[in-house]
Amino acid sequence: MGYLFDPANWEWVTTENNLRFLLEGFLVNLEIALIAIVFSLIFGLLLALLRLSPLRPLSIAAGVWVDVWRNLPLIFIILYLALALPAPWKEFYESNVPEFFPEALQSGRVFAGILGLVLYNSAVLAEIMRAGILSLDRGQGEAAASLGLTYPQQLRYVILPQGLRRMVPATVSQLITLNKDTTLVSIIAIQEVMRHGRILSSGFGVFTGSDVQTPLLQVFIFIGALFVIVNYALSRLSRRLEIRERKRTTGGTPGPISGLEDQTALVAEASR
Amino acid sequence: MAELWQVLTDNWPEFSSGFWVTVRLVAVSFVIAIVVGTAVAALRIAPWKPLKWVGGVFVEIFRNTPLLVLLIIAYAGLRRAGLALDAWVAGTACLGLYTAAYVAEALRSGVFAVGKGQIDASLSLGLDYPRTMRYIILPQAVRTVIPHLGSLTIAMIKNSAIVGVSLLGLPDLLHQARLVNSRTFATHETFLWAAVGYLILTLLATVAVRKLETRYAIHR
Repeated sequence: MGYLFDPANWEWVTTENNLRFLLEGFLVNLEIALIAIVFSLIFGLLLALLRLSPLRPLSIAAGVWVDVWRNLPLIFIILYLALALPAPWKEFYESNVPEFFPEALQSGRVFAGILGLVLYNSAVLAEIMRAGILSLDRGQGEAAASLGLTYPQQLRYVILPQGLRRMVPATVSQLITLNKDTTLVSIIAIQEVMRHGRILSSGFGVFTGSDVQTPLLQVFIFIGALFVIVNYALSRLSRRLEIRERKRTTGGTPGPISGLEDQTALVAEASR
Repeated sequence: MAELWQVLTDNWPEFSSGFWVTVRLVAVSFVIAIVVGTAVAALRIAPWKPLKWVGGVFVEIFRNTPLLVLLIIAYAGLRRAGLALDAWVAGTACLGLYTAAYVAEALRSGVFAVGKGQIDASLSLGLDYPRTMRYIILPQAVRTVIPHLGSLTIAMIKNSAIVGVSLLGLPDLLHQARLVNSRTFATHETFLWAAVGYLILTLLATVAVRKLETRYAIHR
């Protein structure tokens, strides 16, 4: 207990250099998350549309693809890609990565990490989006068709705006999971916050006094707190947006929603 | 093709022991997740503010912290603080508590989905709060959350690989696959077989949930 509550150990975490080192690592996580989110959303939507395609072979192929990737552990996918990705692919990434990216993202291994995150999350998001589109009343598409809209136009103006909006809460909670999962790339030796935490909390005993153990526990509690803050803020934000949206579309009385998000809490919060 | 089978047969002891370690890990964590999740959900819907708050803090902390961070805190971190947990204890506790936060949220929204009118009706019939929960709310709430609990179980199967990778004393399927790979260098074959192992587990869970769903469906 003395170790956990010793103020010296906490002070050590928040000395200027250590703090900066940890925050720099955390920034790398956020950057990886951002890149993976953008590509996962794009490919997720593409996969969802392929699955709903009227062409049977296409929809079956997309279905198998989605079911395989979303049922494998993400850490498994990342480890496999890190080992099996052809070297030319990594070199291609290394020579094409934008220069303004931080040093930690310049390595070819990062490509394996991001590719793994995108393969897994685009499959999961495709399922979420598909559910959102399917939950729409068939009449919507039929009405649009009878008004003379082509299939792409129906998607663009009628089906997607409504179907995807319904799935915002589920999508955001998946993106929060993605944000947490960026820590998994530390397994393939990408220099992000977990690695920085490890470096900080191992082997610096010489500098902190010989019989003082480095505060590993405190460092990782701090890292955990960073994630809690960012993810909690994200979930609050999504809830706020959801409520505003609901007020706008239903004129102030939020009705029940079909989604994973907690319905009653939304209603209670809206009427507060 | 021949090599594909050979990788499996040559390393069968590793693959099969890893598979069963994963199964045991998931089974124990599942029990922890359900028990703790139910308790936290009860706190979350308790009619007393401080209890609600405690439940809420538990959920937000365990749901928003990466599992890998929890594992390092529980295993290496607590060891530094003088509390040396066994890899199995640390692994199942982390995976269980992490999932428990999601279970609690699922149960809570299930309880709310039952509707306040039923609680009021039950209380006005003279049943006390625990009995209302036991006989009126929970039987209905559990039914509505079966699909949700199913997807959490599948998520837990996948997350168990994180436990196996980060804790040395827990040789699960992915851990063994890495071992086999470092010995045979047959990366594609080894990981293909491990993938088959994980897909068997997630597929079984999917089928089981579908069975439960139809069995306990509420016919209106």
